[in-house]
This record gives sequence, C-alpha cells and structure tokens, in this order.
Amino acid sequence: MPRKKARKTSSNARRPGGIFRRVLVRLGLFGLGAVIGLGVPWVWWLDREAGLRFSERQWSLASRVYARPLELYTGTRVSAEDLEFELESAGMSRASPTSPGRWSRNGNRFDIHVPEFVFADGRQPAVRFEVDVREDRITGLAAPADESIGLVRLPPMEVGAILPLDARDRTLVSLADFPPLLVTGLQAVEDRQFRRHRGLDPKALARAAWRNLVHGQVVQGGSTLTQQLVKNLYLTPERSLLRKFNEAIMALGLERRFSKAEILETYMNEVWLGQSGGRAIHGFGRASEHYFGVPVQALGPEQIALLVGMARGASWYHPRRNPERALARRNLVLDMFLETGLIDDEEHRRAVDSSLGVRSVEASSARTWPAFMDLVQRQLRRDYRDGDLRDSGLRIFTTLSPAAQRRAEQALADGLDQVETTNNLAGLQGAVVLADPVSGEVRALVGDRDASRAGFNRALDARRQVGSVIKPFIYLLALADPDRFSLVTTLEDEPMSVPLAGQPDWQPRNYDGNFNGPVPLMNALVHSYNLATVRLGLEVGLPGLFHLMAQLGLDAEVTSHPSVLLGALDLTPLEVTQLYQPLAADGYSTPLRSITAVVDSSGQAVGRYPLRLRPIAERQALALVNFSLEQAVQDGTGSGLQWQLGREELSVAGKTGTTNDRRDAWFVGYTPDWLGVVWVGRDDNRPAGIGGATGAMPVWAQVFRHLPATDSRRSWPDGIEWYWVDWPENRLSAEDCPGARAIPFVAGSQPVDLAGCLDEPQDSPQRRRFWRR
Amino acid sequence: MQRIVVVTVVILLAACAGQPPAPVEQREEPVEERVRAPSQDEERGLQVYPLRNPAVTELTESAREAERAGDLDRATVLVERALRIQSRDPELIQYMAELQLAKGDWEQAENYAARSFDVGPRVGELCSRNWRTIQVAREEQGKTEGARRAGERIAGCPVEVPERF
Repeated sequence: MPRKKARKTSSNARRPGGIFRRVLVRLGLFGLGAVIGLGVPWVWWLDREAGLRFSERQWSLASRVYARPLELYTGTRVSAEDLEFELESAGMSRASPTSPGRWSRNGNRFDIHVPEFVFADGRQPAVRFEVDVREDRITGLAAPADESIGLVRLPPMEVGAILPLDARDRTLVSLADFPPLLVTGLQAVEDRQFRRHRGLDPKALARAAWRNLVHGQVVQGGSTLTQQLVKNLYLTPERSLLRKFNEAIMALGLERRFSKAEILETYMNEVWLGQSGGRAIHGFGRASEHYFGVPVQALGPEQIALLVGMARGASWYHPRRNPERALARRNLVLDMFLETGLIDDEEHRRAVDSSLGVRSVEASSARTWPAFMDLVQRQLRRDYRDGDLRDSGLRIFTTLSPAAQRRAEQALADGLDQVETTNNLAGLQGAVVLADPVSGEVRALVGDRDASRAGFNRALDARRQVGSVIKPFIYLLALADPDRFSLVTTLEDEPMSVPLAGQPDWQPRNYDGNFNGPVPLMNALVHSYNLATVRLGLEVGLPGLFHLMAQLGLDAEVTSHPSVLLGALDLTPLEVTQLYQPLAADGYSTPLRSITAVVDSSGQAVGRYPLRLRPIAERQALALVNFSLEQAVQDGTGSGLQWQLGREELSVAGKTGTTNDRRDAWFVGYTPDWLGVVWVGRDDNRPAGIGGATGAMPVWAQVFRHLPATDSRRSWPDGIEWYWVDWPENRLSAEDCPGARAIPFVAGSQPVDLAGCLDEPQDSPQRRRFWRR
Repeated sequence: MQRIVVVTVVILLAACAGQPPAPVEQREEPVEERVRAPSQDEERGLQVYPLRNPAVTELTESAREAERAGDLDRATVLVERALRIQSRDPELIQYMAELQLAKGDWEQAENYAARSFDVGPRVGELCSRNWRTIQVAREEQGKTEGARRAGERIAGCPVEVPERF
C-alpha cells in the first residue's frame, strides 16, 4: 500500500530536480506518519498488553502426589536396607548431613538431616537426628543437639505429579521466602542495575554490544531481568530486532506498572531451569527440589550459584548432561558472589571445592508407579475437577509404602519367572495388592509383572473368576447361624447333582476327583472340598451370600447359578482385597483407601479421607473362619506356605483359589499387619497351567518374606468359647483324651454329645468350660 | 421498601443454600460428664494394657492438647496417625471413639467403642468407657433399646479377670 502511493506521487512529478526533493520530503512525511500512525498504536498496545497479561496471569501449579511418610521412632519396624531405600526415595542424598536433605550411615547408625516439610497436619521443621537400626527395627532415636524427640517423619516420596496442560512444573515461592543470597546473587550476575533501571539498562546494552562487536559474535546479553521475564512470558525465542524492540517496550510497560518486587518474584518463579522427561522445570523453587531434593530455603551457596548460573542457559549448563560446563559456570558465579561481597573468602573457598551435589536422575525423576497412580487418579477424578487437579497446586497425600511397593513389584517379577521355570510355562501375568487391613490403606499395587509399564492395570481392571477364594464367605454365612452350624458340624463330601431350571443338571466335582465322605465343616474349608461346600452353600442360599458380600463392601453382579459357590464369579484383585479386608481386620470393615488427605497450595485441607469403621454383625462367625484359614495355611491347601515364607513367628491366615482348567491362580493371605492378594493367569484367559498354591502362593510368600511385622495380634470377639473336641467327630472331649483338639465355638453352639473317653459326670462345668475367653 | 424485599429474598435464599445448621445448644459435655468421669471409679488395677509405644504416647499427648484447645479435627488426625503405629491399641481406639462422640459423629463413636471393647480387656475402667460411649451414641441416634442394653453391659465391667489358659 505505501509503496503504491509513493509510485503514484513520483509519476505525477513534473520538474525532475525538485521532484526528487519533493519525493524525499513526502516520503519522509509519510514515514513519519506511518511511524506515528502504526508505531504509536503498536507501542501503546504492547505496553498495555504487557500490563494486562502480567496482572491477569495466574500460575498453573501441578498437583503433587506423595507416598505415606515413614514414621521414625524407637520401635519402628524397618530394615537398614529399607531405610536406605526410603531415604533415597524421599529425595535425600547420601552426603555429610551438615545441611538438610542429606544423610549418612555408619554401621547400624544413620545420621539424618531431614528438610522442612509441610504435611497435611502441619509443618515439620528441618531437624537432624540419629537412629540406630538393629534386627529390622529402630532401637534408638536421638537428636545430636540433645533435644528429646519421640518421633520424626521422613519427607514423603513424591510418587507423581498431575501437570498442567503446558507441562510446566513449578513450586511457587514468594520473594520473601527465597534465600537472600539467591535474590541478591541473581541480580549480581544477571542485572546489577535492577534496582535502579526502568526496565532497560542502556549501559549494559552498550557494553554488551561493544563486546559482541569485538568478538564478532554474541558473547554477552545486555538484557535486564525485566526484559528476560518479558521474553520468557510473552515472546518467541528468535533473535530479531523487532522482537528486541517489542521486548524493550513491554519491559518499560511492566516497570511502569508493577513494583520491582513483583517483577523479581515472577522472574524467579518463571525462569526455565531444565527439562526432565516430559516436564519443564520452571522457577528456583522447583529446581531446588528437582536437582537437590530440598526446599529452596535449604540451599547452600554452591547450590545457589549453580542454579543462578543455569538461568543463563539451563540446557547448556545442565549439571547432569554437561557437568564440567556447569561446574565452570557455577564457579564463575561464585567468583561474582565473592567480588560483589555476597560471600566471604572462606565461604567461597569451601563452595568452589565442593562437588555439584546434584542427586541422581532416578531420585529426581519421580520413580513411576503407574498402577498405584492409576488408583489415586481414579479416586481423585471422582472428587475433583480435572482443571483443579492440573492447575491449582493440590498436594495429595497417599497411603503408598515405597518399600512395600518395591518388594511387591520384585516379588511378582521374580515369582513369575520362578513359576514359569519350575512349571515350564510362558506368558503369565499377575497382579498384587497389599493393604493395611485395619485402616484399609492400600500400601502397594502392582498391575503388571513389568511394574514400570503403564497400560492395562490388572490389579484394578482384570476381572477374573475367583474360584475357591469365595468359599470362606459361604462358611462365614453358615457359622453366623450357630444354632445350625459350628466348626465340627458334619458335612457330606459326596457326589451330587444339582437340578437347574431349563438347563442340564449341574454336577460339581472335587479338585482331585475324589470324595471325602463325612467331614467336619472346618476340614471342608481347610482342604477346600467342593462338594461339601456346594452342599453347605445350597443350604445357606445364594441370596444370603450376595447380601453378605454387599455387607463386606463389595457390589458383585448377582447371579443365580450355583456355580458361584465354587467361585464362578468375576472379581478384580482390588475387589477381592476389599472382600477380605474385614476378615483380616477382626470384623471391622472399612473402604479401601489410597488417599488420606488433599491440601491446597495454601496448606488448607480441602479433602480428608478419615478412617471410618463399620462392624459387621457376624464377628463371631468371622473369628471362626479366621481360625480355619490359619489351619488352611498350617495343614490345608496352603500348607506349603510356611516353608516358602520361613517366618514361623507370623500368624498367617490364607486361602488359595484355582479356577476351571487352571486359568486363574489366586492366593489371599493376611497377618495382623498386612493383607495381600495375588492373582496369576494369562491375559487371553487360556489355561495357565498353575493353581493357587503353585502359581500365586509363591509370589505371596516372596512379598511377605521381608515385610515388617509388629506385635499386633488379631483379637477374638466377645462370646467365643473354646472346647476340647473328639476330632473329627462332633463330640466333646477332654485335654487328656486321645485325639482331642481345642476348637473355638460361638458360645452355646458346642456339641452336646460326649466322647467315649469321658466318663465323668456329664455336666461338670469344670470339665466342659475349661477354656473360655 | 425495595431494599427490604431484596434483603428478605436473599435471606430466604440463603436458608435454602445448604443443610440447616446444627442446632447450637449448650448441653452437658458428653465425653467428660457421661463417659470419662463415671468410669473413673472402676478398678484400674485389673487392666492389662500392651506396652505403650513412646511415639504413640507423644501423639496422644498432642491430641489431648488439641482437644483441650477445642481443635477436634486436629486431635482426630493425630490419633489416626497414632493408630497407624498401633492399630489395635484399645485405649487409643477408645480415645478416637470419644473424639467422635465430642464431634457428634454418633455412628463412628459407637463403632470405635465397640472395636475398643473387642480388642480391649473387657473389664475395668476402659470397659466402662466403651459401653458408656456406646450407650450415649445409641441414645443420640434414637436407638433406645440398644442404649438400654449398652447400659446393662456397663454393670458387667467390674468383674474379675477372666481365666486365661
């Protein structure tokens, strides 16, 4: 358009000499007009835009997901190996613990300096202390400063983050909370005139231009912090004069409208300080956590110098990828700190001599536990909007135990290798769920034998037939009617045929094809006899069974085919865990949880997931089922377990499950402290060639071999009495009679017949009620 | 006039906004008056408690401080933390029951107290607190018959230690 106009003007000219001058004048006028007409609005717009965008800008803060913190106190059950793992997982580095975030170990003694951490229930200040670990427990906890401390929490491991859509990861820190050396040091290195200039520093610009001219290339930038901020916030990284111009105008605009403190604070939270996988590390707060595993307040001079140096080019001076360059840059920055009097000679010498001290990639790139994160995310998506999760900086405290998770993963991977080798098989898959039964807190979740693989999460999504895993609930239902059933009630394990409406008769069979005749009810469960169980199940009825399962916290799809009694029911490993939770928790049911608290970026609790208990009515019957399942592990279907486990002191109750044609192998087992469910099978649901005891139990044993155990014991509910029984007959006996066995009963449901060995008066209370609780 | 109408409408709408607030009444304090104080007469000597973990003791003390300061939520969080350390400690579970009672969560108060009784000594002072909590919680839920039965159980607390073999 302008050019066309110009041409028109020249064509109209008549006198060549004057024409040239006139053209020039007109061109000049036009240029001036263009500058005023276009440039002024442009400048006005840029200036206004800079102000608007700055004042309207909101930080998108990623939500962070933390594991449960390890509580350290005298008596904590933890092995030295697990403690080391927890310390590393918490992001702490093994170095002299003079500053927070570091720990060292000397034999049994750990010297630990935890950084400050804000938990859901409050702030724990940085503290240095020593613990002694002997025989898998903490035998001493002391602070060197001789203050008495009863318990300390390790900072929890960061299990994952839910990033904003732009994948920028930052931890907001207000200007006052940055260490003073970082604030002044940054200015000393990047912009010494920051306090005085109005957005531009002409002297620095001229100096840079001169040096660049002398060197024939760009060696120095004269940008002020404000210009750099404008560039980071609003402009593309290309180097052009126009962009430089825009940058300058916007910098001036920012400075006119906002205080130095606001600008500096924004810069310090915005500056790009590296890339980690898919996430961009922005701001000194996050960078400190990412590279050193400590909050920014805990940084020493050498660490501050490294981060300040990286502001110039986080990729070029990356401490892991280019350590030498990063070290040289850091020392240069330290020299500037010394030169400007920010640190003294002594500090300078010590800092220059220190190593970069950046923690390992593994420690900082948040080990991925996709299966557990999957569970957490599902719970979060129920309660929060996606936008809030991505942008508002929630802190989510979960129940994951990093040490238990690691063991569960290892056990599934190794266990399946071993099962495949022993049985000459291939293509097995599996899942593990580990929970604290009493609190219902999920401690570990593995959904693939390669735990790092995200994708199909078998622990949550593999719906598989449960086989005999269902049986204890049939027995629970029966024993809840003590007028009819006790552990010594005789059941018939004989061939049977169940007529079904409109279908061929159903003829269940025993696992080994044999029949066991009349058996005590407890033995039918301990040895998992199908025929006796089906008989019992038909007596108590399917509707009752489904009702019970609903009581226990499981919504199973109701079917009427009696094969449900043998576990023709599809459940996920997590659902099975929920089903067994009340059994493992003495009859108090609670929903399984993976989250304990959600806190917003200001530290206010926005979600609490407290422990809520519900007693199930059948607690006495449940205690009898527990007793039977302990027997199952001692001499029933799970009798190989103690040998595989090698921990005599553990009181384990457990149940195997195997489905038709050996497609699925289950083992559910629990101690007073842990409930573990293992499923093994093939993804294509073809016969896998293994049963519960051969395929799943070995994995379970590997998980439990090293899990910490407390002194906690399962309790017997009120109203249970013990009697000597003439086992396996349904008759009372006495301790000194041959074959007598002590069996618990719901009071009043004990047998009335007496064994032949008893010749004393029949109703001698001493003899009969010798053992009660 | 118009302003008064607007204000009235706003007030009326505000009333629809959420649950009606719980009636604020100054009743007798259920935990101290109805559970702890009357149970103190029971023999303490009969009771067999597991050895207290010092960490649990510290957390419980902090919880009591929070309770005294009226911060029941914080007290609850601290007791929950202690329960993660000793999940079957009857004294701790009963304390949680009393906190739930103080918060007016009758159902959880009853359930925690029942759990404490199940894992506890079933005699003496703790037994008395268990059943008194259950009694109050049931009364508050309108379960008159259940409350009466709980009341009867209180009488069974000061019995001799059961024989153990």
